[in-house]
Amino acid sequence: MSEAADVHINDVGVTFPDGPDGRPLEAIRKIDEHIEAGSFVSIVGPSGCGKSTLLSLVAGMQMPTRGEIVIGDRRVTAPDRSVGFVFQEESTLPWKTVEENVSFGLRLAGVDRSEQRRIAKEMLQLVGLAGFESAYPSELSGGMRQRVAIARTLALDPTVLLMDEPFGALDQQTRLLIGAEVRRIWRDTNKTVMFVTHDIQEAILLSEEVWVMSFRPAEVVDVIQIDLPPDRDSSVVGTERFNALFGRIWGTVQGEAMHAFHVLEEGAGEGDRHHSRT
Amino acid sequence: MRVTDITAVPEATELAGGRGSRRVWWSRLPPAGWTGVLLVAFIAFWQTSAVAGWVPAAIVPRFDEVVLAGIEEIEAGLFVENLASTVIATVAAHLVGSMVGLVVGVLFWRKESLGRMFEPYLVSFYAVPLVVFYPVALVVLGINDWPIIILSTVMAAIPMALNAWNGFAGIPPVYLRLADSLTASSRQTFFQVAIPAAAPLLYTGTMLAAIYALIGVVAMEFMVARNGLGSRIRYLYEAFDNPGMYFYIVSTLAVSILLVGLLNVLFRRAFPRVLAS
Amino acid sequence: MREAGQVPRHNTSIVVGSVSIAVAAVLLWWLFSTMTFVIPAPTDTLGRLTDLIQQGGYWEHIRSTGVAAAAAFLLSVGIGTILGLLLGLTSWVRHIFGPAIVALNGVPKIVLYPVLLLLFGVGGTSKTMMGLLIGVFPVMMNVAGGMQSIPPIYRRLAESLCATRTQTFFHVLLPAIRRPFMTGTRLAVSLSVVGIVLSEIFATEKGLGRLILARYGSGQYAEMLATVILLLVASFLVTFALWRVEKRVR
Repeated sequence: MSEAADVHINDVGVTFPDGPDGRPLEAIRKIDEHIEAGSFVSIVGPSGCGKSTLLSLVAGMQMPTRGEIVIGDRRVTAPDRSVGFVFQEESTLPWKTVEENVSFGLRLAGVDRSEQRRIAKEMLQLVGLAGFESAYPSELSGGMRQRVAIARTLALDPTVLLMDEPFGALDQQTRLLIGAEVRRIWRDTNKTVMFVTHDIQEAILLSEEVWVMSFRPAEVVDVIQIDLPPDRDSSVVGTERFNALFGRIWGTVQGEAMHAFHVLEEGAGEGDRHHSRT
Repeated sequence: MRVTDITAVPEATELAGGRGSRRVWWSRLPPAGWTGVLLVAFIAFWQTSAVAGWVPAAIVPRFDEVVLAGIEEIEAGLFVENLASTVIATVAAHLVGSMVGLVVGVLFWRKESLGRMFEPYLVSFYAVPLVVFYPVALVVLGINDWPIIILSTVMAAIPMALNAWNGFAGIPPVYLRLADSLTASSRQTFFQVAIPAAAPLLYTGTMLAAIYALIGVVAMEFMVARNGLGSRIRYLYEAFDNPGMYFYIVSTLAVSILLVGLLNVLFRRAFPRVLAS
Repeated sequence: MREAGQVPRHNTSIVVGSVSIAVAAVLLWWLFSTMTFVIPAPTDTLGRLTDLIQQGGYWEHIRSTGVAAAAAFLLSVGIGTILGLLLGLTSWVRHIFGPAIVALNGVPKIVLYPVLLLLFGVGGTSKTMMGLLIGVFPVMMNVAGGMQSIPPIYRRLAESLCATRTQTFFHVLLPAIRRPFMTGTRLAVSLSVVGIVLSEIFATEKGLGRLILARYGSGQYAEMLATVILLLVASFLVTFALWRVEKRVR
């Protein structure tokens, strides 16, 4: 098991030269943050604020227009196998079996066949899908398919795990269960996790630290430490501490969401912010 | 713990959503323009190789000779006569075939098991095999226009039926439940919900119907027929009149493209939002 | 209104139904043959066919058509796939040649056969080329179309797993178009066969199409019909088999 790496997001900005109205679009104004190795950070914010863009930057699938991202001692310039990415959309390949899907990354990396099979089995065990090796994705539920995607990402033993609203398409019950699984896996494997979600409750339940991102041009508006017990489960929802955290996060997010709502309503593309942040 | 050396701003490479990548030289001319360029280049190449003798004149005549032969045919009224014959047969087969195909498509949508029973035959006789029935039809119906019209109507109906069936079967069930909840009659549901919802595939079906009607008509004229563009090509081939034959070959191709293009344009004018996807 | 229901798969009653349709068609044929003397009865036709198959001369024609059809089909699939990949993956090829190719797709290419005859003579080459010209289009269009409909998530997945371009092509793009590819191949079968038979009816040395035309001319309708049925059944069986395989593909 590789050691987790810390993530430095140094004065990063992203501006697209050609936005929808032809003028430059500033997606991310400035993000300057640091994530300790082995931490679990959630990122919440209104839709379209740039959370996914930030994750793409860390994954090396997009380049910032200003600043840089450093993972461990490596400057990010391209995708790397030490950074795992779990997508929001369906990403299992329908023509491959579950096992072949999980070992896909290993196969591309040139890992030997028997080793591929061994690791795939281990990963499927980890995500609770042991026995489904020869099934096809079409035979599985959405939640199970996302678990296959998670298993595939973990198979490469990344030091940093990026998850972009991975449970977005699932119902709440499945979300709670898989979320608990992910947290358990994190505690067992101690990777650095960046987890994007729109579900504040989920963010509080799963992570140690929650970043609230503003609407575009994005910045990190608030960083909240989640000081709930490490062995928490869903029974912590509704406790005083939980509600306080929820209230604080929602207060900030709500402001940003209202701003987003009005900006989109007016059709304004400037991205200028009309109110001051607290 | 922060790494402090901030290096120079990296170039923004392919950013998702940005159309700002440098304009490539070939995209300055729209596709239609390029098609025109290709056409002109083709004709130029044809004329050059014929004049320079790269290909013997007995195989490919000069382009200007073909044009001259064409003008003669037009002046003699033969071109229009044959063109009319082909176009009328094609249009008739397309219209009737589309209607029949639509009805069959609806039938298979409502009675799915019936559709599944016929499906292997629809699929296997798709795309043309029926033309080999032409000589049989000639025997039964005699040497007149009926065999061509009937067979090409069937050839047009098949793709229409398959696409219409697919189109209706693919309607999200929630639309039909909506109509039901609004107590719409069957007729209302069909015309106001089902047809618009299935429209993209109905469009595909009728375009294919037109194409296969045309291919069927020309192919059958080409085999044995009294008139029509296909039969004129055959006649001129057997009469060793190369320039005339080439003229008709080129015209047939051009007419086909124009007919289908016209149909396309008509459709987009009549139902602009249908094809928005 | 029908609810979103189950699609009956290998339902026996469907199979029985399909077979009954074939039986009904034959019965209609038989009925028809009793009403007109130009159309021989199914039994006569079948008898005539079995006679013909035992004649060496007939086999020459079968072989001529069969070889040309097989060659045209294989070439169509090979060349069509390459061209389709080129079209699907290269935007400048699409931009420059796209409309021309789409336009040519809907055109009766059989009218080009006389040109091929002038170029290659009346032997097997010209009709094979004709079969190729006709059969290449469905493969090319389906492969190109398939390439363009690949969900972008697949490419992003490959990118996130650090796949090289070659790896992405073989492990993701090619498998992703297996269904359209199969559809194109199935269409290429019937189109190549028909292209060749039509060419034979127009002019050729040997072949079943030529036989059909000759028997039509000499009034030997039983043999004509027998050959037509042979062609239709052969084409049907191959297309049907390919369609069944295609439906099983995930």
